[in-house]
Amino acid sequence: MKHRGFTFEKLKIASFDFTCCEGCQLQLANRESTLIDFLELLDIKNFRELSSEQFDDYDIALIEGSISRQDEVERLQAIRRQAKTLVAFGSCACFGGVNSLKNKFSLKELVAEVYPGMKVETMPVKKISDVVKVDLSIPGCPVNKEEVERVMVNLATGSLVTLPKHPVCFECKAQLNTCLFELGEICLGPITRGGCNAVCTTGKTPCLGCRGPSEEINMPAFVELVKARELSLDDLQEKIAFYNAFEGFSNHEA
Amino acid sequence: MIYKVIAKSEFKRFTDALLRDNTSFGPRQVDTDSRGKAVYQFLPVTSSDDVAFDYTATASSAKHFFLPFREELSRFVFQDQEWDQQISYEGNPIVLIGLRACDISALNILDDVLLKGHFPSPYYLAKRKNTFVIGMDHLPLPDCFCKSMNHHTISTGFNLFCSDIGENYYLSINSSKAFNFLKECDTRDPIDDDNCRLVERRKIISDSFRSEVDVTALPSILDIEFDSPVWEKWGNKCLNCGTCAMVCPTCYCYSVEESFDTNLKGATRQKKLYSCNLVDFAEVAGGHNFRPKNGDRLKYRYYHQHRGFAENANQQICVGCNRCGRACLAGINPKDVINDLRMEKESCLTNISSSPDRI
Amino acid sequence: MPDKHFVIPRQDINREDFTSSIPDFNRRSEFMKTDMGHKCIITNIVRLTEQEKLFKLRIIDPHEQGIFRFKPGQFLMLELPGYGDVPISISSSNSNHEFLELCIRKAGHVTSALFTLSEGAHVAIRGPFGSSFPMDEMAGNNVLLIAGGLGIAPLRAPLFWISEHRERFLNVAVLYGVKEPSQLLFTYQFDEWEKINHITLHTIAEHAEAGWRGKSGMITDLFQDISIDSEHTYAIVCGPPVMFKVVCSYLDNLGIPMNRMFVSLERRMHCGMGKCCRCMVGSTFTCVDGPVFDYWSVMNLKEAI
Repeated sequence: MKHRGFTFEKLKIASFDFTCCEGCQLQLANRESTLIDFLELLDIKNFRELSSEQFDDYDIALIEGSISRQDEVERLQAIRRQAKTLVAFGSCACFGGVNSLKNKFSLKELVAEVYPGMKVETMPVKKISDVVKVDLSIPGCPVNKEEVERVMVNLATGSLVTLPKHPVCFECKAQLNTCLFELGEICLGPITRGGCNAVCTTGKTPCLGCRGPSEEINMPAFVELVKARELSLDDLQEKIAFYNAFEGFSNHEA
Repeated sequence: MIYKVIAKSEFKRFTDALLRDNTSFGPRQVDTDSRGKAVYQFLPVTSSDDVAFDYTATASSAKHFFLPFREELSRFVFQDQEWDQQISYEGNPIVLIGLRACDISALNILDDVLLKGHFPSPYYLAKRKNTFVIGMDHLPLPDCFCKSMNHHTISTGFNLFCSDIGENYYLSINSSKAFNFLKECDTRDPIDDDNCRLVERRKIISDSFRSEVDVTALPSILDIEFDSPVWEKWGNKCLNCGTCAMVCPTCYCYSVEESFDTNLKGATRQKKLYSCNLVDFAEVAGGHNFRPKNGDRLKYRYYHQHRGFAENANQQICVGCNRCGRACLAGINPKDVINDLRMEKESCLTNISSSPDRI
Repeated sequence: MPDKHFVIPRQDINREDFTSSIPDFNRRSEFMKTDMGHKCIITNIVRLTEQEKLFKLRIIDPHEQGIFRFKPGQFLMLELPGYGDVPISISSSNSNHEFLELCIRKAGHVTSALFTLSEGAHVAIRGPFGSSFPMDEMAGNNVLLIAGGLGIAPLRAPLFWISEHRERFLNVAVLYGVKEPSQLLFTYQFDEWEKINHITLHTIAEHAEAGWRGKSGMITDLFQDISIDSEHTYAIVCGPPVMFKVVCSYLDNLGIPMNRMFVSLERRMHCGMGKCCRCMVGSTFTCVDGPVFDYWSVMNLKEAI
């Protein structure tokens, strides 16, 4: 691909899944209107949901899922050695995701409950950056295909890859939605990174923070507003813990 | 301006035809909040039955019909080593019905900001010129303070303004377009009784305001109180979410972003309404942020709203609709912030005088 | 009224809409094309340092080239389609109608993309925008130009102006400070300024490197080397915000009136036309009222320096 003095190479990309539902990878095949153009940007080296061919000469590795077994750690480290750009892809990879709820219980108890009588190797859930260095994060449960496309276009054209710094509220207001707090619900919109086009709140579902904290969030003020509206602090706690995305802010919790 | 009186039933017939024949937007109820209050927004309407004529105020302003939250400024189409830059100033005729006096004032302020000065905005003008504005008066909400800002009445900036005088509307007709439309309808010239009712109606509205914000010498107070601890105090409550600017009828600051099409055959330059309360508003390349603290950014918004900018003849741009105050989850509202800023001064006086007057 | 129709006709915008305030789009015949860039070809790229390059541009369309004029101190928006645009001060002489020179530091993502371009590539410019240095007002006096780091770039246009009208000025001196000696820009012009144009040049580096034979210290240390006639001196100051304050208050103490000191401010800009509000300083737009301000105005601007 040539373009006004710039030469763009196709992105040699591979996609790998760890402990996850593979829903984020599935998003890559979504958004049919630009799918052909999107695939045109990519030289897919390894991606079992799209192609059975496998090569190891990729530059970009999309990592979906969190890490919950020792063999996953080793596999991830091998990918890190090959990839020039390692992308934490989706909320499980970025924060641990829903899987992290596991960490509230003892491993013994868990195995007994889920796999009674079986010998299962497992360990507490880790996010990707706990194991290897992450170059880029694309959060979301699932990821927003439009954002993924933008990131890939930016990588291909050598543009800066950034995530929006504003919270979900900002985008929610552009949809003329009624604030869910006004409807008596706790919504993590004010503290969650935007970029999802407020898709959940537009459907009247409170934000659970799948895109993680937005830039410089004001957690004390947020907790204060939940209290002022006499909403349930347990509900708040539960929502904040949902994707394990607000770890560093737990001190401010009620 | 030409004044006419129209029966409400006839006005309904007129609006039915007008809203049917044009792309139209008016206030509609979208929700009932947890305290049982109706929530309204400007949404598409096709007949007068769709319009909530008795609405209070919409949660979001009508600004986005003129300044879309996202708007394409330019398109670039690449061909080999070259590109073609395409710009279109889109304005399709629309009818906006039910705007309040403060909403129309806000449009007049945007006109001043965006159509005067060195670089008038053709994007805005194309939309403004193609919008048929019908205003309706209303009784203020307890927290409206447009009277303090002198924006509770309006004499320009609309095509038609309707004052509710009981069985009839008292019409202020401010455009030939509206005049010609109404020629087709059954209207009459106002008689003394109508004029009396109009005066009475205005008096009732004016007397109904429950909130007052003292804006005397506010620009200078804002300058003097630039380093006041009040900003930090309110800044600490601020969630940096930008909601205030989004619902505001006059906040017009924006971001420009450029992006390649996925097929790399073109690119688009987009304008996105932005908010000075968002953390990266004053961030420059390299990461330096000229307003790193919540309080700095909050102060800046009040500075813009209540002091005004030089380019805009230092005019205050707040119209007193209090949408920002209602929408703010943290409870930050202009009335309390400004009064707080003034109290600072007043408390100084209590130290030196036994019976301080209001400044 | 099912029989009646009230269709609102579509109205296009036209020239008459702006008659009350005549737009100043660089005297363009097509007033509405505020966002349309002049296409330029990059004719030459000089690497000045690790971080800075000097781009020489020529406006491709002869008609557009014919109408593009600027004043020293003004800036333009440099557009790289797909990547975005950035405000860049013009570093060349405003009497040179053929070429524009832009001294650019690789800082953000637009400038990074720009650095990958080679000669012959096309870019676009919009502008010129903003205020300028009042060169005519300064004539008949001494001029002191003080630059910190990349601040020399906006000073190059007034320096050209002075050189071209040298007889209209008394003493002209440049004080130029950098962090490391290797960051000095336009060193190849130093001789020309000093020997041909009789402009005294004083340079200083904060951290001396091996082989550096010049002075080391802060820019204010250079004041010891010069004498300033405060009654007949104008000053132009450009550099990082911390420098403004120190330098301007020093000159203020010497008795140079505040309205004879000019600074050029730098902010993020998205429109260049006084609309997006990103470059606001206090209640003033850097893009429309600035970037050149006199020190008195800047002193009165909240959060300026």
